[in-house]
Amino acid sequence: MLQFVLRRIAISALVLWAGSVLLYFLVVNSGDPLDELRQSQATNREQQMAALTERMNLDEPWYVRYGMWLGGASKCLILACDLGVDRGGSDVNTAIVAAMGSSLRLVTLATVIAIVLGVAMGVLSAIRQYTAFDYTVTFVAFVFFSLPVFWAAVLLKQYGAIEFNNWIADPSVSLVTTLLIAIFFGLFASAIAGGDTRRRGLTFGITAVILFAFITIFDAIDWWVQPALGPGLVLLLSAIAMSFFLMLTTGLRDKKVLITGGVTLAVGLVVYFVIQPVLEEPNWWLILALAASTIVVGGVLGYFIGGFEKRAAMTVGIGTALSFGFYTFFDKLLTNWGGYLDIAGRPISTIGSGTPNFGGNFYETIWDWSTQLLLPTIVLTIISLASYSRYTRGSMLETLQQDYMRTARSKGVSERVLNTRHALRNALIPITTIVAFDFANLIGGAVVTERVFGWTGMGALFQAGLDAVDPNPVMAFYLVTGTAAVVMNMLADIAYASLDPRIRR
Amino acid sequence: MTTQADNSSKDVTSNSEPVLSFDNVDVQFGTEFGTVHAVKGVTLDVHPGEVVAVVGESGSGKSVTSMTALRLLPKNARINGGVMVSGHDVQSISDRAMRRVRGDDIAMIFQEPMTALNPVLTIGTQLTESMELHGVASGKAAVKRAVELLDMVGIPDPEKRVTQYPHELSGGQRQRVVIAMAISCDPKVIVADEPTTALDVTVQADILDLLRSLKDKLNTGILLITHNMGVVADMADRVAVMFKGQIVEQGTTEEVLMNPQHAYTKVLLGSVPRLGAGRGQMGISVTDDVNEGADLAIDLRNLVIEYQRLGKTPFRAVDDVSFKVKQGEIVGLVGESGSGKSTIGRCALGLIPAASGEFRLLGQDIAQMKKSELKSLRRRIGVIFQDPAASLNPRMPIGECISEPMVVHEVGDRKQREDKVYELLDAVQLPREVYNRYPHEVSGGQRQRISVARALTLDPELLVADEPTSALDVSVQAKVLKIFSELQAQYGFACLFVSHDLSVVDLLSHQVVVLQNGKIVEKGPREQVLHNPQEDYTKRLIAAAPVPDPLEQRRRRDERHDLLRSLGDEVVELKMGDHHN
Amino acid sequence: MSENNQEPSSHSVVDDSDFSIEKKLDFSGKSYSQGELVRRRFFRHRAAMISLAVLVFVTLLAFTSIGVGPIPGWWGKSYLNSSSVINAGRPTLSLWPFAIGENPFGQDNVGKDYFALVMRGTQRSLTVAFTVGILSTLIGTAVGAAAGYFRGWTEAILMRMTDLFIVIPLLVLAAVVAKAAGGTVWGMALVLGFLVWTGLARLVRGEVLSLREREFVTAAEAIGASSGRILMKHILPNTIGTIIVSATLTIATAILLESALSFLGYGIQAPDTSLGQLISTYQTSFLSRPWLFWWPGMFILVIALTVNFLGDGLRDAFDPRQSRGED
Repeated sequence: MLQFVLRRIAISALVLWAGSVLLYFLVVNSGDPLDELRQSQATNREQQMAALTERMNLDEPWYVRYGMWLGGASKCLILACDLGVDRGGSDVNTAIVAAMGSSLRLVTLATVIAIVLGVAMGVLSAIRQYTAFDYTVTFVAFVFFSLPVFWAAVLLKQYGAIEFNNWIADPSVSLVTTLLIAIFFGLFASAIAGGDTRRRGLTFGITAVILFAFITIFDAIDWWVQPALGPGLVLLLSAIAMSFFLMLTTGLRDKKVLITGGVTLAVGLVVYFVIQPVLEEPNWWLILALAASTIVVGGVLGYFIGGFEKRAAMTVGIGTALSFGFYTFFDKLLTNWGGYLDIAGRPISTIGSGTPNFGGNFYETIWDWSTQLLLPTIVLTIISLASYSRYTRGSMLETLQQDYMRTARSKGVSERVLNTRHALRNALIPITTIVAFDFANLIGGAVVTERVFGWTGMGALFQAGLDAVDPNPVMAFYLVTGTAAVVMNMLADIAYASLDPRIRR
Repeated sequence: MTTQADNSSKDVTSNSEPVLSFDNVDVQFGTEFGTVHAVKGVTLDVHPGEVVAVVGESGSGKSVTSMTALRLLPKNARINGGVMVSGHDVQSISDRAMRRVRGDDIAMIFQEPMTALNPVLTIGTQLTESMELHGVASGKAAVKRAVELLDMVGIPDPEKRVTQYPHELSGGQRQRVVIAMAISCDPKVIVADEPTTALDVTVQADILDLLRSLKDKLNTGILLITHNMGVVADMADRVAVMFKGQIVEQGTTEEVLMNPQHAYTKVLLGSVPRLGAGRGQMGISVTDDVNEGADLAIDLRNLVIEYQRLGKTPFRAVDDVSFKVKQGEIVGLVGESGSGKSTIGRCALGLIPAASGEFRLLGQDIAQMKKSELKSLRRRIGVIFQDPAASLNPRMPIGECISEPMVVHEVGDRKQREDKVYELLDAVQLPREVYNRYPHEVSGGQRQRISVARALTLDPELLVADEPTSALDVSVQAKVLKIFSELQAQYGFACLFVSHDLSVVDLLSHQVVVLQNGKIVEKGPREQVLHNPQEDYTKRLIAAAPVPDPLEQRRRRDERHDLLRSLGDEVVELKMGDHHN
Repeated sequence: MSENNQEPSSHSVVDDSDFSIEKKLDFSGKSYSQGELVRRRFFRHRAAMISLAVLVFVTLLAFTSIGVGPIPGWWGKSYLNSSSVINAGRPTLSLWPFAIGENPFGQDNVGKDYFALVMRGTQRSLTVAFTVGILSTLIGTAVGAAAGYFRGWTEAILMRMTDLFIVIPLLVLAAVVAKAAGGTVWGMALVLGFLVWTGLARLVRGEVLSLREREFVTAAEAIGASSGRILMKHILPNTIGTIIVSATLTIATAILLESALSFLGYGIQAPDTSLGQLISTYQTSFLSRPWLFWWPGMFILVIALTVNFLGDGLRDAFDPRQSRGED
């Protein structure tokens, strides 16, 4: 395993290096950096040209310049990067550090969401093959596949952001809209639930009524500008999460696992009240520490209550505890929405990657980020959601036809366990191989998306550099995105190895 | 449950209710091109402690019939008639109730052990799953029982095995795991669908011994689906012969196998070559007068073939093998999977290089040869492969397939090639209309006849036949073998006949070479090697091959058990007593 | 069949007077060659057939309306000439009652007929996309087949190229090369054609790798067929499904990639135009003249969508394992 990882790292480093040579060569030869000056009428034209030639070492051949860049860049290995200066003389290090955070956050978030949603959509449409749900997902996936990114981004900016901002200024949901939302999600839920007409009808009814009730209540109490979950909703949502984890493991069969989940919920409720003052003004380290202790508590509960089904009980315990923790945090976050609205006014940002000198508290800062990230993330997620869902669907259908699925069926395994325990893991194995390609695709998409949303991120750095035939910013862009892609690739390899025992040993 | 059941089948059937019964079962599939009527009114019972065999060739509907018992047919199947599994009406109960029946009342053993187990779950997980599902045991108790089960089916080191994954086990071991899984919840009846077809003959004998002790010791009823008459004779109490979706004949094994009534049963039994019966079966004749002084078609001296493996020492597939094939002589190369017999066949075709040793083909040393010389040598060699579905290019019309050797070696003009193809089609008894058809439009046996025709296009001096009939049904095999022997008599080519089927080799060859793990165990004239073997391995191999005669097979089985005991081996059986009850 | 109902232990036999084991070869119209099967399945794929009709319509509309090169089209206005702006340039197309009007897609801010402009853009985008499709299929098939059959250095190059596209996104590399190659239609088509073939090559390589282990290829080797003959006669005809399907999907990729590059400013340059360039040019007028934004976007979406559905239909036709059955 270690040898496997080391070999992958060596190959990746080699590829990364070869890519840098190619890119440097292409950028340097993509135009004449002195072109603009040659045509200028300025009196000190010759001086300026000489200065630029001096700054960019233009009288050296490209490989010497590349060597100089590589010398500086290789210092990254000892954490002392020197990525040179751009044609204006500003330090590229500073520019890349400023641009890196928001861009990487965007791409990583979009990747994670796309994988989770895409795999879920693909699995569901494979299980519900040839139903209305499957056809809808297939059609939506094809539309997503065929959308020009920038066009979708502009549309989303118009209809997602501007309209929402107009609405949040005086939020209210009309009866018709409420009904439409309730019916839509009711249909959606019933399509996912599947089964016979009665079961689907019931799912539709329950979902629609609950949604209708919630929207009406939220509207009445003006929840949209002062939202909160409160202990009741936190408990309810965590209980739903618990049943999800139960479904993944033992179902309702094993009492001890069920008890583990229940006890976790009870402990969570107590902690919910105890922890409120601590959560008033936290920082990320505190949140991280709390998350870690949540995992420990859930695991310990599962370990001691679980009995024979220790592993299942620990899964349920940890899953439920983490969900409870997340909802508690989310509750706190929601209560700060009002405060953020007071500062921001029109919350969903359409321009820029962050509000400069934003002065809000911990939660309000998160809101600021989230609202900036929201639209670009949706756009990027749309790009790769389609390929994940199609690929998962195909892979899942392939797996469902395997002989070992028939073996499992002949043992009396239920469809639920068949899909989760027997099929899903096998179906996920080939998906790990497209993660790397998709990530590269997303970085390309991010360049376009950032431009539509006016971010001064990595994409802008790349474009400015390329337009000015200025290799250093482009190479800085490459260094970050290429390394990120290599890391992503590595994670995918590790996921592959952990899913497939055949290559582990 | 564990009382020893009476072995006599008649007592069993009259004393107890059937654990599995089919009543006029009828199955139709809706497909892209209309309806396929797969099973047409099958009525059949299986009683506790009884083995009922359903025999038939591919497409007879035998597997489809068995799948109705577990309700595992795909959604496009329309099923009529009644199926009862120990008192449950399989056709009408709910999905949930059906799942309780599966595994608990009725279990299944599948043909392909390599794909029947989930590759990402441990053996232990897969074994405990059905026990936990049916409330037999759970958690640590289930793991303990899984270890017991693996021990029962004769898997060594069971504590370690439960934590391993399927790819770490051999094919025979995997099939034992599947059997362990099937018996884990003490089912009343087990459906075994070709349980030994994918296995080597010695492993097959062991698995059959295991299944036999299963019905004796646990009183389980077994529905055995097979195409192999030898397996029927070895295992079954009663037989049902299926043909085109119908049971054409049904009765006790002795009755059906010794005194067949239906024309199809007679054809079927008449098509099975019997080991030890030698020449002259099924109207196939091979002349035994090979010219002693004839030139050598193949002369192998100390041949070694190795496969390179990344980062490991090379794998030695063939180790120090020497034998000769004279002109006009058929040499049978026999052995189990991994014995290196196919590797030698491929080396003879110049497809794999030899690591050391000498390989003289038609008097020339192929190791020293240039590419162009090799090509002209290939003109004199014909080849037939195992799988008729895979050995013909699906996108090439049959006429082109057959004439391809002439095109490659630039022999004849268009007209001559066409005439040759027609001549060969006549020789392998196919209508001339197939000339412009594609391989998928004809049946498997006909495809293999096309392969034979292609091999003979350039009148070769040597034919390499790699398991040419093992993918075929017996009645088809008989026909292909007959055509083959007639052509051999007509053209007089030498033949390297690679096969795992000793009875076919007994029927055709002059000389026999027995291989094990890349080494020659025994070689010599057919009568000597197959009828009076000297080496233990050959003896085991011959003893393990079942014959389609229940009385003879019972005798052979006892002989085999005696042989195994005399060689210090265990006879495989379910190990009871220690932990069960 | 009354015998079947007798006591199970007794020996029962059905009538065998008209028994025959020989399967008669019957070639009277009921069998299909592989090509016919594929055609039948494809024509039954409803989404693919609708897509084919729409794509053909769009292509015909784009090329006949304003003509190609010296050949004039039936639409009177040119994409180059401006005229006076009527009714703020709003589209005159109306579906009910159906009327085309003077400027069906409206006019841009200097009074150019937007229908003519969009048709010109569609022509250019289609030209690029199909050229890329053909070029990359040729390169991808050649490299993929060589890599899969001969292994060795072609395979090494292909795999390293593949790795390269993991670290340098296709769009980024295409932007850099396209900037150097200049903004003409053919330059664009060449740049993209030489860049997007790796995916297809990987698929072909995989297919060839599995085909070369098949017995019919071994059989061809054994009778002495040359490598060229084996590749051309035995292996490539069996990869035709994969090739056609990925060629289709490459066309969809190309049209989206071309428009994205044009949007970033590295694509086809004025005075020529493409759909991506139109969106890029007019995105700021989204609030004042939304039709300038909607039309080219819709055309890109429709072309990419129909091509993708065609690819899906072809995949189902060639590989029916995952397609829907009869019902």
